[in-house]
Amino acid sequence: MKIIESSKIKEKAYIEKLESGLTIIIVPKQGTKKKYVIWGTHFGSIDNKFIEPNTNEEVVVPDGIAHFLEHKMFEQKSGINSLDTLMALGVDANAYTTNDHTAYLFESTDNFYEALDELMDYVQNPYYTDENVEKEKGIIGQEIKMYDDDPGWQLYMNALDCLYKENPIKIDVAGSVESISGINKELLYKCYNTFYNPANMVLVVSGDFKPEEILEEIKSRLIPKEVHGEIKRFYPEREVEINKKHKETEMEVSKPLFMIGFKDINKAQSSEEAIKKHIAIEILLNMLCGKSSKLYKKMYDEGVLLSQPDLDYEFTDLYAHVLISGQSNEPQKFQDEFNKTIKEYKENFDENYFNRIKKKVYGDYVCEYNNIADVARMFLADYFKGLNAFDYIEQYDTVTPEYTKQILTEVFDEKNEIMSIVNPK
Amino acid sequence: MDNAKEIKQGIKVHQIDTNKFKTNLFAVFLSVPLKRETITKNALITAVLRRGTNDMPSQQQISEKLEEMYGANFDCGIEKTGDSHTLKFYLEAINDEFLPEKENLLKESIDILFDIIFNPLVENGKFKEEYVQGEKQNLKQIIESKIDNKASYALERCIEEMYKNKPYGLYKYGYIEDIEKISSQDLYNHYIDLIKNCKIDIFISGASLNNVIDIIQNNEQIKKLNDRTPENIESDVTKEKIEEPKYIEESMQIAQGKIVIGLDILSEQEDVYYVGSVYNTILGGGSNSKLFQNVREKASLAYTCSSSYIKRKKNIIIRAGIEISNYDKAIEIIKQQLEDMKNGNFNDEDIENAKKLLISSIDSIDEEQDTEITYYLGQELGKTNISINEYKEKIQQVNKEQILELAKTIQINTIYFLKD
Repeated sequence: MKIIESSKIKEKAYIEKLESGLTIIIVPKQGTKKKYVIWGTHFGSIDNKFIEPNTNEEVVVPDGIAHFLEHKMFEQKSGINSLDTLMALGVDANAYTTNDHTAYLFESTDNFYEALDELMDYVQNPYYTDENVEKEKGIIGQEIKMYDDDPGWQLYMNALDCLYKENPIKIDVAGSVESISGINKELLYKCYNTFYNPANMVLVVSGDFKPEEILEEIKSRLIPKEVHGEIKRFYPEREVEINKKHKETEMEVSKPLFMIGFKDINKAQSSEEAIKKHIAIEILLNMLCGKSSKLYKKMYDEGVLLSQPDLDYEFTDLYAHVLISGQSNEPQKFQDEFNKTIKEYKENFDENYFNRIKKKVYGDYVCEYNNIADVARMFLADYFKGLNAFDYIEQYDTVTPEYTKQILTEVFDEKNEIMSIVNPK
Repeated sequence: MDNAKEIKQGIKVHQIDTNKFKTNLFAVFLSVPLKRETITKNALITAVLRRGTNDMPSQQQISEKLEEMYGANFDCGIEKTGDSHTLKFYLEAINDEFLPEKENLLKESIDILFDIIFNPLVENGKFKEEYVQGEKQNLKQIIESKIDNKASYALERCIEEMYKNKPYGLYKYGYIEDIEKISSQDLYNHYIDLIKNCKIDIFISGASLNNVIDIIQNNEQIKKLNDRTPENIESDVTKEKIEEPKYIEESMQIAQGKIVIGLDILSEQEDVYYVGSVYNTILGGGSNSKLFQNVREKASLAYTCSSSYIKRKKNIIIRAGIEISNYDKAIEIIKQQLEDMKNGNFNDEDIENAKKLLISSIDSIDEEQDTEITYYLGQELGKTNISINEYKEKIQQVNKEQILELAKTIQINTIYFLKD
């Protein structure tokens, strides 16, 4: 097993790649009662066009199928739902789908190996029937409607629509009522056989484990599968231009929600570069409108903002963007002031301020290691991006004021800026 | 384990030693009874206090200070716990062991937190006018934004209807009509009164806390506090028998209807607190519960359908998001589950599964600092002082007869429906 270590935060991770191609990451944490396991496949809502390895045929699947498949994985031939079995063991089990991966997980304080039996059994044994697929359409239909009433989600989807002309990230993870109506068991099996191959998956465990022992336990539960090579997927080219500057909609909210976005058009050339950039952007966002920023003080005093905006940087190989969101009666005013602040910082970059915020960002990374579930999820999500979570702590020192200033100029460019607003009716 | 020490009458320090975390968490809770006259003022005080202290007169200065401390996090809020209204203040800072350079954040954190709560910026014998005016506007907007999250709005409305004209029916952030009337002087007078009389609980969770009690006792702000006999904050759990549930329907432009059903537990058996937990888990606690199985899995009516248990008030709240036209069908199925519980249509396996689920969540309490603190605060406010191990034992001991007795006393108090 390969061992990676972070001396600063005193944590280690063990990584093993099996012959089948499955990657296993173990993050031991002594003295905790909770054990957490998460098994993910590199298959999300953006994977709607690919070559099926068995037939070499090009396949286009309905939007929302990765998420639909996630729902259906729990169904067993015996008629017993695996989620019920896990619940009956007293473990907290769940699953989720994002745009680039799907993951199955549980957290337990007891019955860990019984639960691991069940998890590894159901993920390796799909069982889809016409009947159980039809039934799920009603449930997912209600899940979609729940999001239809969620102003924050609509705000985000509209921001993506502004940022990208054609990019599968614009597809709602759950699809639409229309798109899922076209899903059937044959399509689900096609997706399963393509993407639920060990070579396309990673399993992360965190908790009080001896690495060699837990590795053997996992291996003993694996069913041999034919080894696939890399899956060929089709995505549109990364666009350099935004789709539109502005999008507004109306919903039943007390006051407008806004989301400012900046499309980051320069793809990072290495994983180190991606992490460095991520750290620099986090520092910049805090400098621009974090709690101690001049802008936030001004906006708060003037009643334009009620609380600090949410700050985010999302990226994969396919897309990258910065998002700043909040609630305000005057979103336009905030945007104008925000843009003014960017200009000021480009001309006059305060290094003392930079150093203070850099300390804060360090603290934020350390805090992430408080919870084994967060740690495991972080390793999983980063794995699919070709990164490992410790790199953030390790790359931290390399982020200089000069580099950060360069990122400010590169990423925070008005040309690539968009605004999404949800107005009250 | 929570070691509580009363440093002055009515003021307790609870120390939780743990080395599971990279951070130390400090919390201060000021508790008073929920009252219509003071609810809005309490909410406003929490907001004004974070604006500045005599030593750090602006929010910006406080934030700068916290950023220097490797992004120590300050947070505050207001909560209803049973019939008590609690002003909550937190400060989380990295444990000195994980800092790149040697520093002593422990004492600094304690000093800042107490400073914010007990040493606010005072000008001309009252809170700074500008801060009060600003926070009044903000609080108004927070109250107005209640409608933004439809699911929590529906829940809030149902509880309001269940507890009309009773303390627990009050909204924790207060009421817009109060806000205009509150002057900076009124608010400051109320603050002085609050600090003098409220119940104060200070929690510290973390590693290497050897001399923490000394640090607290020697803090200037703490020295100034007087002994006190706090007002009674125990929750009223008396229930009346009602003939017909209250039906409430409201409309909003929404895609999905939200059902919220409030249940009363009339049972007065000895361990009702724990029996209620097991009953609730069988009814709607997880994916193998009756509600999830029948409303979602069998009838395919909902994505979410579950129940939650308000221990301190002996209530259970059922919630479901459904297609609006399926209302009657959903209500019928939900009512059938309550009947099934009454008729004893659950077996030993259901009970065991529910217990396992509950025990696993009890076992997780001390795996998160704020969860553990919240647990002990709940024990403190409810005057129950049950340790985590005793809590587990109590759940283990619950039997079918007790659950059945409780099930037979369940009455539907209110059925609330938010539709388009």
